[in-house]
Amino acid sequence: MQHLREHLIKHLITTLFLLALFLPLSLTRAEEYSFDLAEIEKKACQFGGYIEFRPLLYGLDKDASLYKLKLYNRNKENVHDEYNVTLQINASYEKGKAKLYTKLNTTITNSYLGWDDDTALYEGYLSLKSSSSALFFDIGKKTVKWGKGYAWNPAAFVDRAKNPDDPELSMEGFIIASVDYIKSFSGPLQTFSYTPVIVPVYEHINEDFGNIDHINFAQKIYLLFYDTDIDLMALTGASKTSRFGLDFSRNVTSNFEIHGEFALINDFQKGIITSDGIEHKIKDDTKSYVMGLRYLTESDTTIIGEYYHNGTGYSQKEMHDYFSYINKAYDSYISSGDDGQLKKALQITPGNFGKPNPMKDYLYLRLSQKEPLDILYFSAALTTIYNLVDESCSLSPEVQYQPFTNLELMSKLTILTGEGKSEFGEKRNNWKLEFRARYYF
Amino acid sequence: MALHFPMKQSWLFEPPRIMKILFSKVLYSYFRNKKMVFWMSLACMGVLLCLPNSVAAQEVDGNMLLQQTVVAQDIDGNKLLEQVDKNLSPQSYESYKKLINIEPDGKKKEFILFTIKKGKDKVAALFLSPASEEGRSTLRLGDNMWLYIPNVRKPIRITSLQSVVGGVFNNSDILRLDYATEYKAMQVEKRDNEYLLHLKAKTKGVAYDTLKMWINKDTILPTKVECLTESGMLIKTLYFKNIKDFDGDITRPSVIETDSPLYKGHKSVIIFAKMKKRKFNDEVFTQTFMPNLGSLR
Repeated sequence: MQHLREHLIKHLITTLFLLALFLPLSLTRAEEYSFDLAEIEKKACQFGGYIEFRPLLYGLDKDASLYKLKLYNRNKENVHDEYNVTLQINASYEKGKAKLYTKLNTTITNSYLGWDDDTALYEGYLSLKSSSSALFFDIGKKTVKWGKGYAWNPAAFVDRAKNPDDPELSMEGFIIASVDYIKSFSGPLQTFSYTPVIVPVYEHINEDFGNIDHINFAQKIYLLFYDTDIDLMALTGASKTSRFGLDFSRNVTSNFEIHGEFALINDFQKGIITSDGIEHKIKDDTKSYVMGLRYLTESDTTIIGEYYHNGTGYSQKEMHDYFSYINKAYDSYISSGDDGQLKKALQITPGNFGKPNPMKDYLYLRLSQKEPLDILYFSAALTTIYNLVDESCSLSPEVQYQPFTNLELMSKLTILTGEGKSEFGEKRNNWKLEFRARYYF
Repeated sequence: MALHFPMKQSWLFEPPRIMKILFSKVLYSYFRNKKMVFWMSLACMGVLLCLPNSVAAQEVDGNMLLQQTVVAQDIDGNKLLEQVDKNLSPQSYESYKKLINIEPDGKKKEFILFTIKKGKDKVAALFLSPASEEGRSTLRLGDNMWLYIPNVRKPIRITSLQSVVGGVFNNSDILRLDYATEYKAMQVEKRDNEYLLHLKAKTKGVAYDTLKMWINKDTILPTKVECLTESGMLIKTLYFKNIKDFDGDITRPSVIETDSPLYKGHKSVIIFAKMKKRKFNDEVFTQTFMPNLGSLR
């Protein structure tokens, strides 16, 4: 407990320092309003971004399978702390019908593993527009986000997997060439747009997309039909198996929205491991879907609810076997010092059991209250992800505050709970405390 | 609103006690009893989320408004409303707006938007500042509304009663359609120098059920609009000020102020600049075009 206290105090001192630094500035009175036309002058070259400080504390669960898998050769700490500083820079240059855009992300991390830094070009592409504004051609590294789900997007075939804990996080794109063709109509069909996308996968180009030495073709048709957004998507090519998707979204009333998303993946292959360590590949056609809603109450509480059936996910037995194997491998390591079996489990984890929410059925619920207690630019939220198969869940209360323009403060506690051999019960941490200060420039 | 600043100050001066309770006690207990903390957290957030958000709105005394007025049966209220729309903006135009949220202590938060509009039901806006909002865009096609956030990289549906900027203005105020598109005239009252137009929403999807619009007889421009619920509860009042000539042929109020009994002491202001007629293709008012709105500037 002494160790835990020390970490908590360290974390809190950082938080308080930032609050003490920024809150007094928020109390400064501004000048009388004016509208200077220089403020709206368009510049060909634009530059912006943010700098973020994000300390985290993890309360470790030494009995959990994933603790044993990932930290088996570490000291028996109760708490891990981690400090991240991120600089994200967006720059664009526009001339005539052409625009160059780049987004560069650098993160420096200090954790139990020591110092680490990672710089990635999230986006960098050239965009050309037709004079009628109905046709766009983009080439380069670009983030494509498909699907209508808030926490999960099974039909996002050209995206990296979203983190349901932070669905609005900026993500790295893939190198693509794409076209957007738009056509508007009067009548029940108001908009039609067609987006073909080419995704090349070669050595050093989109290697993490799928099998290399192939060119893949994705396409999306968007319709605004009877006031309903409808998307039809498809991906073909040899880097991944063929997949087809459909989504919709509609405002039912002025404060109520519904959405859904469906994906069919042919011959989806997943890796499993038995409790004795025998690896298998299972191939099957899978169906995944999301049904969700967003509702705004009279007291400004926003409710987002989603049900997710993950056809590519693991059954309870498959997860049990995986956790059982890890525990056996760990016992073997303790008794013999040989970590070969643990390394085998580590190898099969990424892309299989290590994916966010790897099981079959989930519920997502987020309640967020704008300006509770009449505190302007303050919001409180409670988010839960509930695994319907093993009845484990994560629960995350959070608060956000914008003390002054361009500064966002956020603090979030995530508590994981579940029985043994359940998804959230076997995570390496019992809880996570996170603070984020982000300043935009 | 009394809790506004004392609340912030209490964070500044009392965190050690709060933190001690939150983290030392609760987390310590957590190691002993996971379920207790899980349910405690759920209960605490439940209480917080259920707290009443703001002061109850005021009822408007309809009888007061009808005093010293004459119901004008010879004036077609709907035609008068169409004339108001025509005088407020051309069929197709672009403009810049500065939106200012002013708090009771005078502190302000400002947003600058580039706005385009076509016809009666197509409007889009791009946030130019502050930096935290830059690149966000909103689109409205009739009752359909979307918000595009550059980080999220895809448009998401929003509803008219939400507010992308906070403060007194909601999305339907920022992306306002022609009044005649959403409302029909129920009654016109003649006064000395003005008309009072009573308007009713055409559908349930409109943000305010009822409007009362005071219109200057000479300019046929609104001077004040009250937004009410079906039961007559006042939600907000818009004040149209500072008539200005834009681009030689648009003469309209350049400032709209608003206050609300729901946000006592708060005020929001929209200032218009560089409004001018401009033709657009329908394709720019589509979800797919939203990331490229800036190319129209």
